[in-house]
This record gives sequence, C-alpha cells and structure tokens, in this order.
Amino acid sequence: MSTSRDAILTRLRDNRPDPKAHPLPPVARLGDMDNGQARFENSLQILGGQVLERQEGDTLATAIARRFPDSKVICSAVPDFEGTIRIEELGTPQQAASVDVLVVRSPFGIAEMGSIYLSEAQLQDLNSAAHLTQHIVVILSAKNLTANMHTAYMDRPEFHTANYGVLMSGPSATADIQGVLIRGAQGVRTLSVWWED
Amino acid sequence: MKVKPVNHAKAAEAFIEDTAHMDFHDERLWDLRQKRDGQMHILPEWQELRARASAIKEHTLANLPEYLEQFEANAKKNGIHVHWAADGAEHNRIVGEILEKHGAKSLIKSKSMVTEECCMREYLEPRGVVVTETDLGERIQQLDNQMPSHIVVPAVHKLIPDVAKIFAEHYHTDPNDNSAQSLAWQQRLAARPVILSADAGMTGGNFVVAETGSFVVCTNEGNADLSATVPGLHIATIGIERLVPRMADMGVFIRLLSRSALGSPITQYTTHFRGPQKGSEMHVVLVDNGRSHRLGMEDFWTSLKCIRCGACMNTCPVYRRSGGLSYGAVYSGPIGAIIDPTFNERKYSTLPFASTMNGSCTNVCPVKINIHEQLYKWRRVLAEHHELPFVKREVMHMAGKLMGQPTLYRAAINGTEVALSTMPRFVLYNWLNPWGKHRELPHPVKQTFHSWYKQNRLKTKKKEGESA
Repeated sequence: MSTSRDAILTRLRDNRPDPKAHPLPPVARLGDMDNGQARFENSLQILGGQVLERQEGDTLATAIARRFPDSKVICSAVPDFEGTIRIEELGTPQQAASVDVLVVRSPFGIAEMGSIYLSEAQLQDLNSAAHLTQHIVVILSAKNLTANMHTAYMDRPEFHTANYGVLMSGPSATADIQGVLIRGAQGVRTLSVWWED
Repeated sequence: MKVKPVNHAKAAEAFIEDTAHMDFHDERLWDLRQKRDGQMHILPEWQELRARASAIKEHTLANLPEYLEQFEANAKKNGIHVHWAADGAEHNRIVGEILEKHGAKSLIKSKSMVTEECCMREYLEPRGVVVTETDLGERIQQLDNQMPSHIVVPAVHKLIPDVAKIFAEHYHTDPNDNSAQSLAWQQRLAARPVILSADAGMTGGNFVVAETGSFVVCTNEGNADLSATVPGLHIATIGIERLVPRMADMGVFIRLLSRSALGSPITQYTTHFRGPQKGSEMHVVLVDNGRSHRLGMEDFWTSLKCIRCGACMNTCPVYRRSGGLSYGAVYSGPIGAIIDPTFNERKYSTLPFASTMNGSCTNVCPVKINIHEQLYKWRRVLAEHHELPFVKREVMHMAGKLMGQPTLYRAAINGTEVALSTMPRFVLYNWLNPWGKHRELPHPVKQTFHSWYKQNRLKTKKKEGESA
C-alpha cells in the first residue's frame, strides 16, 4: 500500500553495510548487582525523590496527612488504602488534574537508579493520573528491587506486556532556565516511596 | 538560485561579542561535561557499555530493513498505526491527515528533533492547527521564534532576563522576574490548561524496539508523558535509525544516555509505549528524510548510530563559544557538522570547518562515532566537490603549490618574515585573514630554521665529513 515504505526499505537494502561484518553482541548483564534497599534509597535521593517518613504507630494515611497537610483530594489506586477518591471514579484522563496526592503500588524498583515502575495495570488504565497529580506516593516492597537496568530489562516481564510502562526516577525536573535545577516541573512536584515491609 | 552557505564564523562572532552570554554558555556546557565525567568514573564498565552500544547500533543499521519490518509487524499487532515518510513533506502531510481525521485543532508536543527537521509547525499552523511545545526550553524557543540551539537543552544560550522578557510578552508575567523557579512555575501554569484541552499529543522516540513493537521516550519534565496520556490521540514521530533489536538492549543505552547528556544517572522519566492506552489511538510515523541515503555513505554511515545525547556539543570548544544558533541548522555542534551536509552539502559546507579537530567529541561519544575523523573527511569531500569558500580554496591552492616546491616555499617564507615586520596592519589583518580577527600574528623571527641550519649545521657537517 505504502510506496514510501517500499522505497525506503529498498534503498536501505541497497545502501547498507555488509550485515555479516556486524554481528549482534549477546545481551549484557553488567555492573553492580546490589539490589539492596540502601542503594535504592541513595539513588532515589540523587534524583530528587524521597522516602515517606514512618513514625511510631504511623499508617500510610497518617504519614500522608503529615507530609501533605494541605492536600484535599487524595486518590487511591490500591485496594488497601482509602483516600478521598478512588482512581476508578475519575471518568476521563483530564479529571485526574484535580488530584493532589495519588497513591499507587509499584511492582518493582531499580536500585541503580532509584526508579519505580508503573503501568496501566497499576494505574487502572488512567495513565494520566501519574502525571497530572501534584504529588505521588508509591508503595514499594524491598523484596521487589532489581539491581540495575540490565537486570530490570532482562528479568521483568512488564516491558514485554504493558502498553504503557513508565520508569519514574524522582519527580519531574528541569534545568532549562539558566541551568538552575528545579524539581517539580510539569509532572509530579514530589515523588515519595512508602516501604510496605 | 544556489543556496548560500551558512556563515558560521560571522554568526559566532556576534555570539562572542556578548561576553555575559558566551561565558555562561561556555561554563554551563563545560559543567555538563564534567558531570558526565563524574558519572563515567563511577562505572568501571563504562568503556564496555560504549563498545556494546556501538556494536548493537552498527548491527542494527546493517540489518535495518529487517528490524523495521519486525517492528512494524509487532507494533501493528499491538494496535499501533504505522506510517512511513520518505521526507519531511510526507511526514507533515501524514500528521496533518491524522489530525484532520480526528478534527484535532490543538496539538501539544514534547521535544522532537525530527519534527524540527521536517519544519512541522510551519506546515500545520497555516492549516489551522495550534501547535504548543510543552518542553520548557523548547517552548521558550518557540515563543522567541528561534530554532533549538542545543539538542538536549534547547534554550541553553539564554539567561534568566531573556526568559523573563519572553514570558512577559506572551504570558503577561513580570518582565523583571529574576527567579528561574518562578519562571518555571509560570510555564507550568500556562501549560496546564493547554494540555487539558488539547485534541492530540505528540512525542518523539529515543529508541524503537523491534522485538516488542515498542518505542521508548526519555525526558525529565513530565511533559512528554502528559502529551501522550491526556489527549485521546498520540502521534510519535521517529527517525528510522532509532531501532534496537531487543528490549534487553535498552539496559546498555539507558545507562549511557542521560549520563552522557546531563551527567544524571537516568532521565526522570523513561517511558515505554507498546500500544494505545484505553480509549485512545496511537500512530507512529517512521521518517527517512535522507537517512537511507546516508547509510550508503561509506565514511559517514556510522553517524546514524547517534542517540542524540549532546555530549559532543558540551565538550566542543568551538560549540561552547559560538552557540548552537550560529550553525544555522537543526543539528548543531560536532554531530550537526557531520550530518547537516548530508541534508544540503552547499548550505552546510562551512560547518565541518567549525572544529579544532581536538577529538574530544569522539572521546565522549557514548556510541563511539568517530566524529572528528568524519569532520576531516567532510572537509576533503567538500574540497573535491568545490564547496570550499573562495578564500579558503584559493589560499589552500596557493599553499599546495608552495609546499610542493621547496625553493618557492623558502623564498616565500623569507618574504613572510619581511612582511610580518614591515607591512602595515591593514595588509596583514583583513578579510583574507579571518584567523587574525581575535589573534595576533606571531612575532617574526630574525632568521628561519632553514637558513640557520644552512649557515651553521650544514657547515659543521661538511667539516665533519671532510675530517672523517
């Protein structure tokens, strides 16, 4: 159907270097294999994320109330936390703009980068919520930490199954104005991790 | 009519005149280079990552038609509409048609060098589509009606007062605002309503994974994810060279990209798009625009390995002191100087000369492109194709003659010494000698090495020969 498609592919076949001279290297599993909580927390802090403080007797709700005292709309995307609204009640992607704090569970984190992963499975098909909310609180288990980017891409099935999968490494940030680093650009202004174990 | 070559030297001169801007630009980019070095030193496997990244990219380029077909088949299975554009005009037409079909009048987009290449905004806006750049730096450049001056930090040549002035004009904010924090906040406030009411969203793509039919977008501000997830239509414009074979290869590239670009371990957002989100439509436009032609250029095809990190720009002394806009092209800096001539040999014939050939670009390149060697090869190609500027060509021609004939050369050198010490300045420092604009010519020596050698050593040697 597409003539440009055929023309491009033909030109590539005519012009390319000899494929035999450029074999594909085997997949690499390199680098530091530490998948510990301390490494994750250190990386998270470098990227501007934080660990949500857990004081004696705290529940997730009390910890959020202390950290975000002015927030009105607390949206839950998990069954074990209530919030003021459930993510399923937001009818359109745009409605997520009313959320102050989104609470969501991440299936895994990456110790090398302090990254947490979210897909439509955790966001109940409302992917915009992870970006329109002012703040995000991510529930994570230390058991679900993978060491680095190699182990993440090789071992986690989500990269092959999710339609939308984001690795968030701290909050949104920019240094586009005179090189000044600003945490909290256009997406979430803060990202906090809540250890569930 | 023949196009005029970009006058890089002249534009750079204007940039250099403004010391405050140039000094900041120079220091800011050098700071990024140093942060990159810091990240590199943390990883003992850095050189192995580079070697693998280079090998994966070379393999992919040598097998590009097969990988593109594999990507297309998998993407279609995932529900993505895949389009092919031979050039910028076809890309713009395709995007225009998708938008028209959806009745979309407002498009929010994240930064994409390919859409710059295609001049997409200039095509869509007269057709009634309001295009809003959502990346802060790119938005500043859009409002200021300028091209991005750097592929990663598009407004790096501007200072806070410049941005305050632009925002005051377009967002009606305080023209004397001198806080980057508050200006960035103004951008967030201005962008939100546009994002929430947009009909369509557009992103680029840093990597395309053949195995899964996915594409990966690496950003920091969150604007690309907003552009992709808020409107019900997502169009991604991607160059055909962005392929990698396997998802597992992404580990190598993600570990290199942001460390090389900004000296941060990873971008704040690394997003994997494998299909449309619920209730939405997704299109991928694969753009050739000269790439398939470049693949056939024996000396230059490896420039297609580029992952657009900008490390070569940050390290380049010429780029840091001349500013991205002086290159007059979508791609500036060392990488721009080796790919721009493939778009238009005459127009960009001056760019391969904007280099000291120090090789630093090659040393920092995460995918090991031999940038400085390609700069040199381009100079030769341009000379062969008679695309050298008149003065450079004539001077080279004369130099070639002189150097080829020792007697003539020696006579000329002796003459030069006389000239340097006796000729008035206006003869020595004029338009024939741009080198002398910001430099002084060396002091003439009393005697050339050759004549000294003839007088002293040659005599001694003769004597030694005689006595032996």
